[in-house]
Amino acid sequence: MKSVFPYPTVFGDIDFEVASVTVDGAPLPYAQVSTTERTVALHRAGREHWDRATLRLKARLPEPELAEGPWTDITCVAVLTEKATNARTTTKLTRTPDGDWHGAIDLFKHHHLRRATVTVNVVGTVDGIAGRLIGSPEQVWYVDLRESTPARRREIEIVEVDFRDGPHDWLRPFQESPWIVETSADTPTVYLNTTAVEGLMEVLCVKGGSAAERVLRDMTAGQIAQDTWTAMFHTAISDLDVDEDGTPVMPTGWREAVVRMMLPDVLPGRQLTDALYDINERRTQGFGWSQLQTAIQYAAGRRSRISKKLTSAVRTVDRAEKSVS
Amino acid sequence: MTQAQLATELGKTRAAVSAWITGRAEPREDAKLKIAEILGTDLASLVTRTADVPTDLPLRWQHRPAHVDGGREYGNVAAFAFDADLSVLAREATQNSLDERLDDTSEPVRVHYMLHELSGEHLDAFLKAVHWGELGRHYEEAASGRQKASRSLRSALDELAADRSLLLLRIDDYNAAGLTGPEYSDGRFAAVVRRTLDSHKASGGRAGGSYGLGKATLWATSRFGLVLINSTLSEPHEGRTQRRVVGRLDLPWHTLDGEEYAGPAWFGEPDTDPERKDVARSWWADEQTVRNLHLERTGDEPGTSFLVVGAYDASGDAETLQEMHDKLVRSLADGFWAAMIGGRDAGALMEARVTTLRNGQVVIPEERVDPHAHHPALSRALQAYLDGGTVSELTAGDQVARAEVPLIVTHLKGKGRARDKGREHPAVLLLTPADDTDEHFNRVVCMRGNRMTITEQRPRDLPLGTMPFQAVLLAGYATGRKGEDVDLAEAFLRASEPPEHDRWDRTEELTTTYERGALSRIKEFRQSIDQAVRSLAVRREVTRTGGPPALRELLVLDGGGTPGGGRRTQSFPTVRNVSAHLEATGAWNVTVTLRLPDAEDPWLLTPVAKFDVRSGGRPTVDWSLLVGSESCRAEGNDIVVEPGVRTAVFTGVTDPATHPVQGGFARLAVDVLKARGGAA
Repeated sequence: MKSVFPYPTVFGDIDFEVASVTVDGAPLPYAQVSTTERTVALHRAGREHWDRATLRLKARLPEPELAEGPWTDITCVAVLTEKATNARTTTKLTRTPDGDWHGAIDLFKHHHLRRATVTVNVVGTVDGIAGRLIGSPEQVWYVDLRESTPARRREIEIVEVDFRDGPHDWLRPFQESPWIVETSADTPTVYLNTTAVEGLMEVLCVKGGSAAERVLRDMTAGQIAQDTWTAMFHTAISDLDVDEDGTPVMPTGWREAVVRMMLPDVLPGRQLTDALYDINERRTQGFGWSQLQTAIQYAAGRRSRISKKLTSAVRTVDRAEKSVS
Repeated sequence: MTQAQLATELGKTRAAVSAWITGRAEPREDAKLKIAEILGTDLASLVTRTADVPTDLPLRWQHRPAHVDGGREYGNVAAFAFDADLSVLAREATQNSLDERLDDTSEPVRVHYMLHELSGEHLDAFLKAVHWGELGRHYEEAASGRQKASRSLRSALDELAADRSLLLLRIDDYNAAGLTGPEYSDGRFAAVVRRTLDSHKASGGRAGGSYGLGKATLWATSRFGLVLINSTLSEPHEGRTQRRVVGRLDLPWHTLDGEEYAGPAWFGEPDTDPERKDVARSWWADEQTVRNLHLERTGDEPGTSFLVVGAYDASGDAETLQEMHDKLVRSLADGFWAAMIGGRDAGALMEARVTTLRNGQVVIPEERVDPHAHHPALSRALQAYLDGGTVSELTAGDQVARAEVPLIVTHLKGKGRARDKGREHPAVLLLTPADDTDEHFNRVVCMRGNRMTITEQRPRDLPLGTMPFQAVLLAGYATGRKGEDVDLAEAFLRASEPPEHDRWDRTEELTTTYERGALSRIKEFRQSIDQAVRSLAVRREVTRTGGPPALRELLVLDGGGTPGGGRRTQSFPTVRNVSAHLEATGAWNVTVTLRLPDAEDPWLLTPVAKFDVRSGGRPTVDWSLLVGSESCRAEGNDIVVEPGVRTAVFTGVTDPATHPVQGGFARLAVDVLKARGGAA
């Protein structure tokens, strides 16, 4: 979906970066700020309670184009948002004589949950109307509140816990299950039961081992992954916002990632919007919902590389038998 | 001729001659006559000797006769040690200038490169000034051989004859020692003009080079093997300092009129010493001669000007004046960015400029080489060190972290004691996050001496995800510290460098002059550098609560397309481009370009226009007009595209009555969906 502006916007590159971060006044090690990943990891072991992180920003705008273009009163503002909490903070940046824009934006911990987004917007007066957005960078920065390694891509949380005697009461009913998947939280979580199957966790967690152990590890991992992807997809499409005309809107956060990754396998050959519309129709109207299950299973299996793992498992078993006989 | 020799010939005492020379006494008139006779000059110039009077001796080229043993050199061997590349010339010549920086000043040595293209009358005047006519036949003979040097000389002569243009490259340094010392025996002058492989470097062992090879690049860069030299001396020679001029030509062995010539030739005055009567020696030129030879220096600061006649870039990268100018600037910045940085604790060691002229007119104005423009991150690192502004741990993108790297300097052979590995020298490692524009990063630039880059080390075992960085290692004198360990480390590292001065490794000098274990110490040093880099740059290993790796790799979000690689070809129509403008009525006029996959049936598509709002459902607007303009047609609210068409364009105009707000106050998004039979 491409959108167009009813007034001229900046064509040149707008670039910005987080130059440094302080948490409650203390500088954050630069290793937790990654310019290549464009991510800041705020979490530091041993310090859970902090109030405010200050991000010092530096932005570079296409100055010659701005000077020549039809815009006036140009300012550059930093915007810090998080969709999950609907928080939005802005500050103005100031232009230094060398042409860079500098400024600092505060992130208050209690306004945010997990991963905030920082970007800059270039705002100016166009055709006599002030405060119009005339440009923003291609890529935003992420500020991760729970991570200590700045990495753009996210993984699903995996928790190893004793279901029967562990700290979570709610897991007790599942004590005989080797794993369960929880998708209701803001990040899907896989709980691995350390007590249901004796020795399974040991096989699963180590690298190497005998051929049989490897087969078992691969198969188990594949099966858990398939369960997880299936559960995540169902959750992701279960509560879609719709436009006025009934077209579903792409969900946000991890749900968006899951939908984008799996839809091309669930409904191949369809445009994303089209496919999403179709799925929402089937879910709300009920027709074709059962047929869809097959497709979801197929997509989750592909994600988990089930056939590849089975192929190598069969080969391993075959080889083992030959060497015995 | 020595004072003693002159005294003997005159029948006077050596003390008397000495008294005349130091100005304590003046010879009597008859003695003066005799002196003039012995020295082969006239009385007038002897009398006015204290004033600045040019000698009347004719300038000429003197060619070295061939070796009597029949040995022949088809070219200067030392010149073949390098590629005749402008960047090599810039590196070697500038390093020599830097090494000759005057010790007792804190001023930088100033290096000026000037490209000057001559043609027409300017060319004729210059050729006349260098007595080209005298050289012509020697060149013809030298170029007639079958050796490599002869062949390239041949093409150079042919090109000069055809194009009638000549490129001069002048390399000036100011605030440097100049070519001091006597004409023939040990000194800077003889080392450069007369000798091969003589490194006469007196700057307290701080010099970069030690093989005496660098100067050969000057001759290698000249297509004619011809270099003219004008030097202002820092210490008077023969009572003078200004405009000591000489020329040297390197030709291959050749014969002319039955005489055999070894190759090298010198341009100057015939020596007045009867024992060297066929030798051309440097002379104290007058201002006009220097101007004619394009050797004029500004001011009277000591230093040397080299004029490379027929300069070219043998690598072939740079052919036009602009390209050669840029290559010089780039080479100077690459080789000497460190020496050009000055800070609180130590000033810049040099500054460099490049200018390009054509027939006396400036073509590319003087360009000062700015290290910060060419190597921002590295320059920032060194600047911070010189300003004392380093930190121990990085917390911001423009900071510079500093750590010490120990280097154990082995004792010299026979001076060590048992169980004593040697003296420890703390080298300095500086590290800063790389700049976005840096092409090469995650490397350590290692330097010693007067901030001369020796090698670039790529640290090993850097974990994935290490932030991109630039690092500088300063060892020996480059640390800017003083002390015994600094001197020892400098000598030790220099001993471990091959002639190219491009790595610290096993050399003959290292193994013969130092105790056993020297090579191991060098290897340990390199490992310590890697270790220091890791401690400064690497993000600490994070123990994730992540669970089994086998499972984790299957559960990555934002992992991109389908597993198993390969970009999925899109099997549905996509919007490639939307261009739109508002009409006077407030309606949007939209032109949409579609990209379509191959299909067997016609595509029936529904374009949908919506106002793009930040949150909540997006309001749809109706079309008042829909026209297929290229490879498609409109049917009601749908667009029909025939099979086989890959690109289609249609135009639509929205109905302003359905706009929830004025068109000018919202963004418009257009999507093209498969027709749903009235569902949309």
